[in-house]
Amino acid sequence: MRKLLAIWFLIPLLTFSACVNEEEFPDTSQGNFEALWKIIDEHYCFFDYKQHEYGLDWNAIYNIYKVRAREEANKYQLFEVLTDMLAELRDGHVNLYSSFDNGRYWSWHEDYPTNFSDTLQRRYLDTDYRIASGMRYRILDDNIGYAYYGSFTNPVSDSGLNEILRYFAFCNGLIIDIRENGGGDLTNAEKLAARFCNEKTLVGYLQHKTGKGHNDFSDLEPQYIEPSSNLRWQKKIVVLTNRGVFSAANDFVKYMKCFPRVKIVGDQTGGGAGMPYTNSLPNGWTVRFSACPSYDKDRQQVEFGIKPDYFVSQTDDDFRQGKDSLIEFARKLLAE
Amino acid sequence: MKYKFLLLFFTLVPLCVVAQESTSANIIGVGSSRILDTYINQEKFSGIGFTYLYIKERAKEDKRWNSVIEHELDISSTKDRSKDNQMIEGDYNLYWGRYRHWRLFADRLLLQAGGLANANLGFLYDMTASNNPAQARLSLNLMPAAIATYHFPLFGKQFALRYELNVPLVGVMFSPNYGQSYYEIFNRGNYDHNIVPTTFISAPTFRQMLSIDWRTSERWSLRIGYLGNYQQAEVNNLKQHVYAHRVMIGIVRHFPNSHRP
Repeated sequence: MRKLLAIWFLIPLLTFSACVNEEEFPDTSQGNFEALWKIIDEHYCFFDYKQHEYGLDWNAIYNIYKVRAREEANKYQLFEVLTDMLAELRDGHVNLYSSFDNGRYWSWHEDYPTNFSDTLQRRYLDTDYRIASGMRYRILDDNIGYAYYGSFTNPVSDSGLNEILRYFAFCNGLIIDIRENGGGDLTNAEKLAARFCNEKTLVGYLQHKTGKGHNDFSDLEPQYIEPSSNLRWQKKIVVLTNRGVFSAANDFVKYMKCFPRVKIVGDQTGGGAGMPYTNSLPNGWTVRFSACPSYDKDRQQVEFGIKPDYFVSQTDDDFRQGKDSLIEFARKLLAE
Repeated sequence: MKYKFLLLFFTLVPLCVVAQESTSANIIGVGSSRILDTYINQEKFSGIGFTYLYIKERAKEDKRWNSVIEHELDISSTKDRSKDNQMIEGDYNLYWGRYRHWRLFADRLLLQAGGLANANLGFLYDMTASNNPAQARLSLNLMPAAIATYHFPLFGKQFALRYELNVPLVGVMFSPNYGQSYYEIFNRGNYDHNIVPTTFISAPTFRQMLSIDWRTSERWSLRIGYLGNYQQAEVNNLKQHVYAHRVMIGIVRHFPNSHRP
């Protein structure tokens, strides 16, 4: 009886002694700094690549910014310090969200010409364009189909894509304009790309972290696009890009580059090859960061963007004449 | 000495022999929930949670073994310490157990020891996260378990003090790998150690309930008590715990042994 009672009380004690817990940082300037640095240190996925590209050293950054995140800093000063620290990652997927501001690194598109004007675009779309599956589309004067897809957050439906492709069925070629498309849902990008291939195509690789170390990664898993069982486009296609093409839109360009009838025209894309996760700090600020890297079909990084097949920029002359240089180039390319 | 004191306590109280019987209990509870899941967030979340618990105990007078089935449904709404970020938790647990029982102290103390099979299905949802905001919880466990029930009269009424304890042994659970997204698992079908064997070391889940029943009639009892369900796991370099503390109240229906509830 005595032994039974002893075991009865011992087992819960042993179980309690094996509590699964996590270190908590205090809600102070230093505590929030330490928490943020640790989240990025353990979860961010491009340390190795960026060390090779421009010498990113996250441990050195700790020493620099620890001094700046002093205890007497107010919340605005602390926010500035932490945002500056995150900007060292040069990643558009890295943000710090507070109730008063969104910390961001937008140099990937702000430092470059937009090569896109909605004023010019209106001259092509006019006002009687159609809208379906998040796309605005119409047939241009030279029988070229034009579809503008501004965000992959807009859902794509099979029936919508069927209608769009049926509408363009007698066109000589198709322009898919994704300039300023900052991304959204990857499945929308896959669903759209599946309308432009006729066989299962290797379009890239995915990977994820398996531990806290900077180089703890899983094996590369191949990423395929399988042809849609619905209507598929069989003629030439041009995809228009600029530096505002980011994240899921960057992935869409990565997919389309693998298909034989597709040409990419415009500027290099903005990049954003890491799937973003979120986490939060002791003071409630939320941090977003790249967690799962993706690569192109040659296992190369696309984090800093994808080069087009034809570099084309908007010219001042064309602008004055009300012409979109990229659309005009695409029309000529499709007419060849 | 302690043993003698215990013996004295059990024998001094007035005699109230209660035959073992089949029961079903419907109990609801409210209390605090504390959540950690480093897959979603490094911060701990705490808040209020609600539980519905159904317990069906089947016993036969002439048998040494009896069975227990429990359905436990939990839902919690929690916030981090800043109160800016919210996490929702939902969980269903099915427990099926077989117990060997012993009657002591002239049948007033009923000890039951055995094991439970536990199936757990649940989710966590971080309301502020944009990508990958949820975590699925799915596990199967074998748990050694014990129940002690002591029947005693007080102020002319019959009472039963009941304590139930479930401790971990082995199991298997679903978990994404450390940084693996649900998009990879479910959209791409990429498997990476997502079905993980667990032991009482890697998943020290522990559950206990202390309750007191007041027999208000031959068929019915009122039950109040405490339920603590402490689910924990550390797999794939991820840590998670959901601690639920509940004050419970409910009714227990008693069935004669010839009747199967």
